[in-house]
Amino acid sequence: MKHPLRNPFVYLVMIIPTLILYSMFFIYPMLTSSYYAFTDWNGLDNYAFIGFDNFIKVFSDSDFIAAIKNNMYFILFSVGLQVPLIIFFALLIANVKRFQRLYKTTVFIPSILSTSVIGILWGFVLHPNIGPVNKFLGFFGVESIFWLADEKWALPAILVVNAWQWVGFYIVLVLAAILALPKEMNEAAQIDGATGFQRAWYLTVPLIKPIISVVVMLSIAGAMRVVDIVLVMTNGGPVGSTEVMASYLVNEAMGVNPSYGLGTAISLIIFAFALVLTALYQLTFGKTKE
Amino acid sequence: MKKMLMTVIMFVLVSTTVLAGCGNNGGNNKPAGTNNGNETTPTPTPTEEAVKAKPFTVSLRHIQIGEAQKFRKAILDDVVAMTEAEVEGLTFELDAVEDSVNRFTKLPAEMAAGNPPKIFDLFGGAGDALKYGAAGRLLDLAPILTELGLSDSFLNLDQFTQDGKVYGLPIGGNTEGFYYNEELFATLGIAQPTTFEELEKAAQTLKDNGYTAFAMGSKGAWVPAMLINTLIGRYAGPEAIAGFPAGTAKFNSPEVVAAYTKYAEWVDKGYFTKGELGFEYADMLNEFVTGKAGMMFDGSWRSSVFSDEAQAGALTNKFGFFSMPAVPGGVGDQTFVNGNYSNGYGFSADLTEQELVAVKAFIKNLYSEEMQLRGLLEDGLLPSIKLSADATSKVEDKIVKQVINMMGASGGAFSHFDSTVPSAVYKESEDLLLKLIAGKETAQSVGDKIQAVQDAQ
Amino acid sequence: MKTLKQASPHVLLLIYVAVILFPFIFVLFSSLKESNLEIANNPFGFPTSLYFQNYVDAWVKAKINVYFFNSAYLATTSALAGVLLSAATAYALVRMRYLKVSKIIYQFVLIGMLIPGNVLFIAQYLLVMKMGILNTHWALFLPYTAGALPVSVLLIAAFMKSIPNELEEAAVVDGLGSFKLFYKIILPLTLPALVTVFIVNFLGSWNEYLLANFFISKDALKTLPTGMVGFRDSFQTNYALICTGIVFSVTPVLILYAFLQEKIIEGVSAGAVKG
Repeated sequence: MKHPLRNPFVYLVMIIPTLILYSMFFIYPMLTSSYYAFTDWNGLDNYAFIGFDNFIKVFSDSDFIAAIKNNMYFILFSVGLQVPLIIFFALLIANVKRFQRLYKTTVFIPSILSTSVIGILWGFVLHPNIGPVNKFLGFFGVESIFWLADEKWALPAILVVNAWQWVGFYIVLVLAAILALPKEMNEAAQIDGATGFQRAWYLTVPLIKPIISVVVMLSIAGAMRVVDIVLVMTNGGPVGSTEVMASYLVNEAMGVNPSYGLGTAISLIIFAFALVLTALYQLTFGKTKE
Repeated sequence: MKKMLMTVIMFVLVSTTVLAGCGNNGGNNKPAGTNNGNETTPTPTPTEEAVKAKPFTVSLRHIQIGEAQKFRKAILDDVVAMTEAEVEGLTFELDAVEDSVNRFTKLPAEMAAGNPPKIFDLFGGAGDALKYGAAGRLLDLAPILTELGLSDSFLNLDQFTQDGKVYGLPIGGNTEGFYYNEELFATLGIAQPTTFEELEKAAQTLKDNGYTAFAMGSKGAWVPAMLINTLIGRYAGPEAIAGFPAGTAKFNSPEVVAAYTKYAEWVDKGYFTKGELGFEYADMLNEFVTGKAGMMFDGSWRSSVFSDEAQAGALTNKFGFFSMPAVPGGVGDQTFVNGNYSNGYGFSADLTEQELVAVKAFIKNLYSEEMQLRGLLEDGLLPSIKLSADATSKVEDKIVKQVINMMGASGGAFSHFDSTVPSAVYKESEDLLLKLIAGKETAQSVGDKIQAVQDAQ
Repeated sequence: MKTLKQASPHVLLLIYVAVILFPFIFVLFSSLKESNLEIANNPFGFPTSLYFQNYVDAWVKAKINVYFFNSAYLATTSALAGVLLSAATAYALVRMRYLKVSKIIYQFVLIGMLIPGNVLFIAQYLLVMKMGILNTHWALFLPYTAGALPVSVLLIAAFMKSIPNELEEAAVVDGLGSFKLFYKIILPLTLPALVTVFIVNFLGSWNEYLLANFFISKDALKTLPTGMVGFRDSFQTNYALICTGIVFSVTPVLILYAFLQEKIIEGVSAGAVKG
C-alpha cells in the first residue's frame, strides 16, 4: 500500500484540474497572443501572416505613443506622489492613540469597490454643471472646469480618482508593517529626545523599506494595468488625452474595426513593458530588500 | 520523479488542447445553466404548417432605450406581440442596447465571433451591413421580400443591397437638419434662417445673448459627424459623398477642406456648447430642450421629442426644423438634403426553420403600412415603404410636416458618408474630427490624413 | 500646546477621511432629491423632502436585482471553486512527497502572477469564442477561477508549509488515506487562509469589469459593474436616478465590509504582501 503522501493518483487528482484551468487561461492565451500578433486577423476573413507589421503600425501611431506616455504619468504619479502620501498618512495613523481603527477602516473602503462604480460616482462629482467640485470652486470665484472634457484636466482628474481609490489600500499595508515593528526602539528614541519627525524619518521609514518596496512594485504593476477607470470615465478621450495602453488595446481590438492581430500585438507590448519595468525595479531598488 | 512530471505534462497538454479546440460548431453549444434559449429543432419538412408548436425563443436586439425612443419601442412591442400570437411557440427575447454601443462595439464583436442575435438593429453601408453580408453573416432577404410581396415596396434599399442580395430593411427614412427654438428666436428677434449668412448671424446673436448657438455633445464623434456630412454635401456637392470610395472625390480636395474649415471656424467662434467633448448625445438634447441653446443639428428621428410634453415640458411644440441653407461657393445642387434609409433590422444567416418562420412573420408585421403609418404619426419617423397618398396627409405634427415639405422641395438626397466609406476610413474620420474640435488639427491636415487611409484601402 | 500637537494629526486625518466619505454622502443626498434642478441648486444640502421614488424607479428600470444576483452568484461560485482547487493543489505541492516535481510545478504556476490582467484579455476572448461559451456565465466563471489560482496557491501553500509534519505522520499511522488526510486534518487547520483566499477572490470577481463587459452582451446575464455602466449610459441626464443606482450597488459591499472588516483587510493585504 503506497504511503498516502506518495500516492500518485491522489497527487494527480489534486493538481490536474488546477493545471488545466491555468494552462487554458494563462499559458494558452499567451501562446495564441504570440501567434496572432503576427497576423492581420480581424475575425471575419481569412488572415495572413504579416510579420512585424502590427508592431510597426502600433509604434508609428502617435496616439499609441501618447498612450505609453500616459501610462508613464500614471507610474510617476503613483510612485512619486502617492507613495510619500501613503507613508505620511500611515505614520500619522500609527502614531495616534484614539480612533485608529476608525481611520484604518475608513480609508480602506474605496479599494473594495468596483472601479467602474467609482468611475460613475466621480464622473458625477466632477460634472461641470451639477457636480459639487465645481460648485465648491465656485465659492472661490473659480469658473467651472470641464474636468473630463478638457484635455488639460482629464488625465489629472483620473489620476486623482485613481489615487482616491487606492491610497487607502496601501496605507493599510504600510500601517500593518509599522505596527509590527518593536516598540522599544521608538520609545528609546523618544526618551532620548528625538522629535516625532526625526523618529519617523530616521527610524521607522528605514525599517519598513521592504513593505515600501512592495508598495512601489504594486503601484507600478497597477499603473500598467489601469484600464477600467479610463474606459468608464472618458474612454480614452477627449481626443486621446487619457488613453492608456490597455484602453488603446480595447478600442483597437474591440471597436468599430475589430483587429485581433493588432490587439494581441499590443497585449504583448504591454507585457514586455511590465516585465522590463519589474526587472529594472528589482535591479535598482530591489537590492535593498533584506 | 521524472515519470510523474511527464505524466503531469502529458495530461495537461492533452486536456488543454482538447478543451480549447472543442465547441467550434458555430456557437450553438449549450453548457448547463445558460439563458441562451435557441433550440435546434430538426424539422423534416420546411412548410410552415408542418412546424410543430415546440416552444422556442428568438433573440431580438434593439436600440430603443430611454425616453426619446419610447414611441418607437411601443411600436416594436406591438409588432412583437402580434408576431408571437401568430407563430405558435414563439417568444421573442428582447435585448436593449444603446445605439452606438450596439453599432460600434457589440455587433462588430458578435459578427466576428459568429454569434450575433437572430434579429438585430443594423445600419446599412460599407462599414456595417454590406461588410457583414459579404462575410456571410447576414440573411439574404430578397427571396423573403418576393415571398411577402414587398419587393417593390421599399423606397430605397441601396444601403443594404449588394450583388443583388438584400441584407437588411430600413425601418424608416430620415434627414438631418437644424432644429431651432422658436420661442427663443422670437424673444431675440431672429427669423428662421433662409440663407447661410442669416444662419451665422443667428448663431452670433444667440452667443452674444449668453445662449449656446448650436447645442453639441461630441463625446461620441458620430454626433458632430452629422453636421460635417451635410457641410461636405454643400461645399463639395452631393456626388462627393458617394464618390469617396471610388476616388472621384477626395477628403483633401479644396471643397471638402472648406467644409472642415467652416466647422473649425464655428468652433473657434464659440458657437458650440462649452465642454462639448465631455457631453453625450443625450446631454445635447437636454441642453436644447431646456432652452439653453438656440439650435441643434440632428436627425429627423428626434422630432417626436418636441411634441411630447413629458420630455419638452414648457417648450412643447415650440420648436421648428429647417435644412441647411446653401453655402456661398458651394458645389452642386444646394437644395439637396441629407437623406438616409440606413437604419433598420438585419437577420442572422444562421437560422433554423422555426426561426425563419418567425423572422418572416416579424418582417411582414413590422414593414406593413399600418406600422409604418404609426411610425410616421406617433414617432415622426418618415416611412421607408411607399405609403398611399392619403397616409401622409394624416400627419399633424408640426415638425414632421416641415420635414416632409423640406424633402419634397429638395432636388434630391445625399446619404451619410459613414455608409459609403470602409470602417477604417470612417474610424479615422471620427478621430480626426474630434481632434479638429479640440484644436489639435487643421482642416487641411484632417483632409490629408483621412485621404491617406482611404488611399491605403 | 501639547493638545494642539496631539490634535493636529487628527485634524489632518479627519480631513482625509472627509475626502474619502464626501462623494458617498453627496451621492446619497442626490439620490433622494427630486430633480436635476434641485441637485444643481443645492448640491451640498440635505434634500428638501426625501424622494424615494427614484429608488423604486431604479430597481424596476435598471433591473439592478438581476445584475446584483448575477454578480453575487458568479463571484461566490468562482471564489469557492478557486479555493477548492488551489487548496488541493497547494496540499499536493507542499505536503505530498514529490518535492522535485512539486517545485517545478509551483514555479510554473507562480509565473501567472507576473502577467497583468489585460495582456490576456484578447486571447482569452478568442479562446472563449472558440469554445462557444461566449455570452454565457461560463465565459466569466472559468477565467475568474483560473485567474485566482496563482495567488491562491501561493497563499495557501505558504500557510500549509507552517503545519508540522508530525500531525500527518500520526494520522498515517492511524491508517488515514490521502484524501481523508487532506480534508480531515489539513484543511481545517488552514481555514484562516482559506477564508482569506475566498474573500480576496470574491472581491476580485465582484468588481471585475473588463471581461464582464466584453464576454457578456445579454442584459439578463450582466454583472453589476457592467450593468451599472449600461444603466448610466441609458439614463445619462437623470442624475438622481443614476445616484440611486450607485447607492444600490455600493451598499451591499459596505454592509459586507462592516461585518467583515478585519478579515477583508487582513486578506487583501496578505495577498498583496506575499506577491
